[in-house]
Amino acid sequence: MKKLLSSLYLLLFATVFLGSCKKFSDSINTDPNNPTKASGTQLIANAELFLPGLSSSPYGVHYPQYLSNTSFTDNSRYTTINFNFYNLYTGPLANLENAINAELSANEGPVSNQVAVAKILKAYFFWHMTDRWGPLPFRDALKGKDDFTPAYDSQQSIYNALFALLDEANAGIVTTNGNIKNDIVYGGDINKWKKLGNTIHLLMALRLSKVDPAKGNAEFNKALTNGIMTANADNLAYAHLLEQNNENYWYNSFTRLGRNWFALSKPLVDYMSPLNDPRLPVFGNKNNAGNYVGLEYGKAVPNSNDVNNVSLLGSSLRQQNSPVHLVTYAQALFALAEAAKLGWITGGDATAKTNYDLAVQSSITQWTGSAAAATAFLAQTGVQYNAANAIEQIAYQRWVHLFLHGYEGWAEWRRTGYPVLVAAPGANGDKIPRREAYPTQERANNTGNYNAALTTFPYGGSDDLNARVWWDKP
Amino acid sequence: MNKRILIFFALLLSAFCLYAQKTIRGKVTDAEGGSPVPNVSVTIKGKSTGTTTDYNGEYAIQITGTNSILVFTTIGYTAREIPVESQHSINVTLTPENTQLSTVVVTALGIRRDQKSIGYAAQQIKGENLTLTKEQNVIGSLDGKIAGAQVTGSSGASLGGTQKIKLRGVNSINGGGQPLMVVDGTPIAQNNFSGDANGVDYGNISQDINPEDIESVNVLKGPAASALYGLRGQYGVILITTKKGARGIKKVDVNLNSAYSIERIGNFMPLQNIYGVGNNQTFLTLANGQKYINGNDESWGPKMDGTPVRMYYSFYPQDPQYGQLTPFVPQPDNLKDYFQTGQNVNNGLSVTGGNENTAFRLSYNNAYIKGTMPNTWLKRNNLGLSSSLNLTSKLSAGVNATYANNDGQRPTQGYQGSFTGAVQWFQRNLDIKRLRDYKYADGTILNWNVNPTSAGIITNNKPSDWNNPFFDAYEVLNNDRRDRIFGDVNVSYQLLPALKLSGFVRSDFYTQNISHKEAFGGRLNEGYAVGKYQNKETNYEFLAQYVKSWSDISVNVNAGSNLLTQHYSQLYQATAGGLSSPANYTIAASVDRPVSTSYSREKQVRSVYAMGSFGYKDTYFLDASIRNDVSSALPANNNSYWYPSLSGSFVFSQLINWRPLSFGKIRAGYAIAGSDLDPYQTSTTYALGGVYPGTTGTINTLTVPDNLKNPNIKPSFANSFEIGTDLRFLNNRLGLEFTYYNQQNKDQIINLSVSGASGFDQTVVNAGLIENKGIELSLTGRPVQSKMFSWDATFNFARNESLIRELYPGINVYQLDVNTYSSVSIYLNSTVDKGFGSLVGQAYRRDPATGKMLLGTDNMPLFETNHDFGSVLPEFTGGFLNNFKIWKFSVGAMISFQKGGQFFSWSKMLAVKSGQAEETAALNDKGVNVREPLANGGGYKITGISQAIGRETEAYVDARAYFRNNIGTRIYEEWLFDASYIKLREVSVGYNLDENLLNKTPFKSARLALITRNPVMIWQKAPKGLDPSELSSGSASISWIEKGELQTVRSYGVNLNLTF
Repeated sequence: MKKLLSSLYLLLFATVFLGSCKKFSDSINTDPNNPTKASGTQLIANAELFLPGLSSSPYGVHYPQYLSNTSFTDNSRYTTINFNFYNLYTGPLANLENAINAELSANEGPVSNQVAVAKILKAYFFWHMTDRWGPLPFRDALKGKDDFTPAYDSQQSIYNALFALLDEANAGIVTTNGNIKNDIVYGGDINKWKKLGNTIHLLMALRLSKVDPAKGNAEFNKALTNGIMTANADNLAYAHLLEQNNENYWYNSFTRLGRNWFALSKPLVDYMSPLNDPRLPVFGNKNNAGNYVGLEYGKAVPNSNDVNNVSLLGSSLRQQNSPVHLVTYAQALFALAEAAKLGWITGGDATAKTNYDLAVQSSITQWTGSAAAATAFLAQTGVQYNAANAIEQIAYQRWVHLFLHGYEGWAEWRRTGYPVLVAAPGANGDKIPRREAYPTQERANNTGNYNAALTTFPYGGSDDLNARVWWDKP
Repeated sequence: MNKRILIFFALLLSAFCLYAQKTIRGKVTDAEGGSPVPNVSVTIKGKSTGTTTDYNGEYAIQITGTNSILVFTTIGYTAREIPVESQHSINVTLTPENTQLSTVVVTALGIRRDQKSIGYAAQQIKGENLTLTKEQNVIGSLDGKIAGAQVTGSSGASLGGTQKIKLRGVNSINGGGQPLMVVDGTPIAQNNFSGDANGVDYGNISQDINPEDIESVNVLKGPAASALYGLRGQYGVILITTKKGARGIKKVDVNLNSAYSIERIGNFMPLQNIYGVGNNQTFLTLANGQKYINGNDESWGPKMDGTPVRMYYSFYPQDPQYGQLTPFVPQPDNLKDYFQTGQNVNNGLSVTGGNENTAFRLSYNNAYIKGTMPNTWLKRNNLGLSSSLNLTSKLSAGVNATYANNDGQRPTQGYQGSFTGAVQWFQRNLDIKRLRDYKYADGTILNWNVNPTSAGIITNNKPSDWNNPFFDAYEVLNNDRRDRIFGDVNVSYQLLPALKLSGFVRSDFYTQNISHKEAFGGRLNEGYAVGKYQNKETNYEFLAQYVKSWSDISVNVNAGSNLLTQHYSQLYQATAGGLSSPANYTIAASVDRPVSTSYSREKQVRSVYAMGSFGYKDTYFLDASIRNDVSSALPANNNSYWYPSLSGSFVFSQLINWRPLSFGKIRAGYAIAGSDLDPYQTSTTYALGGVYPGTTGTINTLTVPDNLKNPNIKPSFANSFEIGTDLRFLNNRLGLEFTYYNQQNKDQIINLSVSGASGFDQTVVNAGLIENKGIELSLTGRPVQSKMFSWDATFNFARNESLIRELYPGINVYQLDVNTYSSVSIYLNSTVDKGFGSLVGQAYRRDPATGKMLLGTDNMPLFETNHDFGSVLPEFTGGFLNNFKIWKFSVGAMISFQKGGQFFSWSKMLAVKSGQAEETAALNDKGVNVREPLANGGGYKITGISQAIGRETEAYVDARAYFRNNIGTRIYEEWLFDASYIKLREVSVGYNLDENLLNKTPFKSARLALITRNPVMIWQKAPKGLDPSELSSGSASISWIEKGELQTVRSYGVNLNLTF
């Protein structure tokens, strides 16, 4: 018994000894697979990878009726109501927020410039988002564990905050030896970033033309003074590459997936074709019979044979490395033309015409690679600047110019009412959407704030495709 | 040789006989059937020495003196004591207590205990009941055999696909939580390399256990039984004990087992055979006026009335029917004709033997399965060795080792899988046999879904969305191979008669290789992907066991310690942008920068534990245990936690004398067990993002991960209470075990879905309280017992209710999973104050007063979003195992059942949406096909409350608009199905050859059996074509969705078992 007890004691001692040993080597719970230090420009570069997605969308492209569906018309018939914005917060915005707040290295370019670029991109992403969804988490967003249920801010306050953010960025930019590393879109050229920030600021200001022209006017002129784009070379265009990991969305859809699902819509071709628009052969291909024919928009029952009889999306726009145009010089010129007509800037119709002509010319250059056809095109009745319906003319030409950038074209349609479009028959109560609904996940993940946001819609309505955002004043 | 020496030897010999040892030999047989009883423990009363009987029930034991008493004990039989006296041969018959009601069970740490002393439910299954029909996955073979275990299987077409088991409901808010698998004391990995419902189902790797090696399976259903496993014990433990050789007289048995089955496809979804491909009922025409069909994949087209049309093959100049018109006719068997008859060949050999000091068993098993899907197969080899050796009378050493090897070429399940999408999107007019020769002599691939120009020319032969299924079968290949070794080396020393010290080194090591080849000519880029995944777990274990009885008191104390180390690493590479040289399946041939990743992780857990069991008068028993775990994956300053348990039992039948009651016990237990997490989740890192090889240099990006880490994470704890009773009546012919349990799982470690607007989609937190309470009932009995006929039956039943009591401050819903098709989503959520796992999605909008559906101005049903459809978990589960003995035949039949639960079916939804399902071309109440124009009396008849007129209305609506654009797209309520079923899982009819016949052969015994697995679904609530028992959905933790499950396989075969 004694022997037994002593061995039990021994055992107990051994176990207590082992049990008390709570220290592991320091490295044992350190992840060897991932970096622990941030690089500001690498985070920014990652956010830039999301840029083409703001344009290349099988939803946005339908609202302003750039493209019609050939085989499966659901998307053009607004079947999708709720759209997820989580990937934009957790993807580019989380990276940019981290770059704005982290300690950055000056080895990658002036820190203030890295921060300014991050702010410009942050403003651009948020602008895109609030134009789609309206009120969004902004002030309390991107705070991680400090706020898993961020409150929604009104679109008006988001616009104000973004104007301020762009002002900060403009003020923070150092132009001497100012280039930054790891920049996909401008190769680090800080002057181009400065112009981009102010151009975004200018375009955002014009968005307020219906709801708050005074504020719009002030912000517009502020941006103009700070310096906007001056040539197509300043465009924010995302260059895709000749490789699978960085290829164009439409290439993937048409070529890689073998889906001939997208054709030019009838309203677009019917507008462009009679004017012999030099951009049409770029936008679309000829049908089997050798003509440019638009496909009826949003058919309830598709016809498989349509694919042979209509103009599919133009081959040059769906090459593996076809670029995606996001913020362009021509767009800024159309804004100037409209601002002149609105009296926000001086010069009246003369300035409006100058900018309108230059806008069309820059657009044609951007899409066709040459301005050669511009003069003849502009000389035609209907295209030629006409003071009497200048706003409509500008809007139509801008609509054509913004081709494929559906969400931007849609925002301008909502703001100006041009072009005149008819909803897909029988879809969404025969109404073209004016807003996208919040992700359904928000109802569960952020219930209180989500419900509160619904009560703040400035013109009423519910969380569907038909409520209006703040600037879209009826 | 002189006489003196002879006399000396004679004296010596007699002295030896008188004073030295003598050997007793004999045979132990079953008192009822007369069959030999192996593994009977034969001991000399009052001494620690002993032996066990061999496969033939024979034994040999050496005794000293003549006053010895031999004690014969074994599981399932009444013990006998026999005085040796002057006998040299003692043959013994043992009376079965009742084969179903074994009294010795294996408990935590492999400690064998008398069942009466245990304070919690312990259910044991014998190996022979697991291998009734040669089911290859031990988890699958447990279905219905354990009260409280829900097993979700997969189709046999996956060749060893996932079988999932959950004990006592779902005890983890994230749906995970598999029980720990332990083989002869060695924990083995349960990884699953499958994707979710889409992709290849490689199966859970616990299938590496050779079922033929299993002696018994004991299931520790909850913390009361498994607390001694600490932070690996929260979800229960499955303890597997393998067959062993026996010490005794030198003896070798060889057993040969051979089974052959054919596998047939069954359970096809009923499809319509009236309308062919198209969006509308007008034929397409070429420029020359010929009618033709194109590559559309929905069947809302014209009637298949024999109209001459240009089919897809007529557009291939290489085709013998190029340019020809052929009749447009239905192909009713175009799904069935794709499949082939599978074969399953299973051969096993085992050698069992031993002598006085050693025992060993060596086994080999080889399985070959030829799949029911063309060009799929699985080869499997298992090699097992278990041996033990007495080095001295006190010191023994042993080794248990299993080598398993799997080599497979498997089909892909789910959407765009290996023909699994054929009910979803296909043409009713396609003759599958015409597609079999998928490649023309010049290498051109024959595709059914290409779209010719109006001149009838194929300008682009790339198929959209679907490959020719035979191209998939022969050119898109999924190969996997796994080599694995697990087992232990052990030494034990009997320090004192009552105290044994043991040391173990246990290891489980595997290398999993997975590759995928995508050939040129299909819908995807040609390419190659290859991954290598390795895991090694080692446990260094020390155990001291003290067992002693005094007159009224028995003590069983165990103390031990364990050091666990886990190393996992993987390498994965995939080509991008195609291959630089056709069919050159190597990463170096990648056209663009290939995907190339490496990953490794390491974890250690240090544990100490002790348990004590105390008995008084064989009537009152008390158990207590405690374990401490220190885990390296927890925050360094807070990594040590304790897990206690307490249980007791009271054998009241000892105190009352009521003849019909042979045994009666009540028991109760309370315990805390836990679980922790994978390493590297306590500190935040960045992640490598996409790479942009631009013209001016490559840009490498960095990203903030979407999952936020947590430096304050704790283990999760499960508090479990259970109470129950074990009763046996009428000489053990009838038994009942009943348990009520309540398990509260607190502080679950979950990836909580949070608003993405926070910058993170998920964060790892301790959150929630999920409660499971339920009852388990197990009835066993032998209703009939006679010489010619006996019937043993076990009926298991379990009912579980779960409730989410808490989640996370401010968050009442936890999103477990989501599925989106055509931008319509359905969520699997857990919501506070509701049961686990509710499906939430779009439902019919109904009139609150009458519950009738509301119709829009177009008379189509209106829908509402975020409707809660209730839990996916079943209300109750169970099984009914029957063993009949009729003359020389033995019949085994296993039925398993489930009531309630639900699942979402893509296949049914899309079969309707695509116009293939039978109901989309049914007759309406006017006797006109619903697809006929409304003007002709066609249309689908819909009844509901019209929004336009504000009262109930009946209307006929266009069939395509109704089925395709409305219910098939928007109303997920239609595609949720009740998962109740009753299934006949296994039947075996065996015949034991007469011993007299075998006398002239080298065989000691021979058994021939007809076996069938999965022969019939007796009843199911879900429509034909779906199988609610085969929803395992790959590695997804909860089976709630079917995206194109592999077709049900029914297997019929014969099994021969020979011992010589």
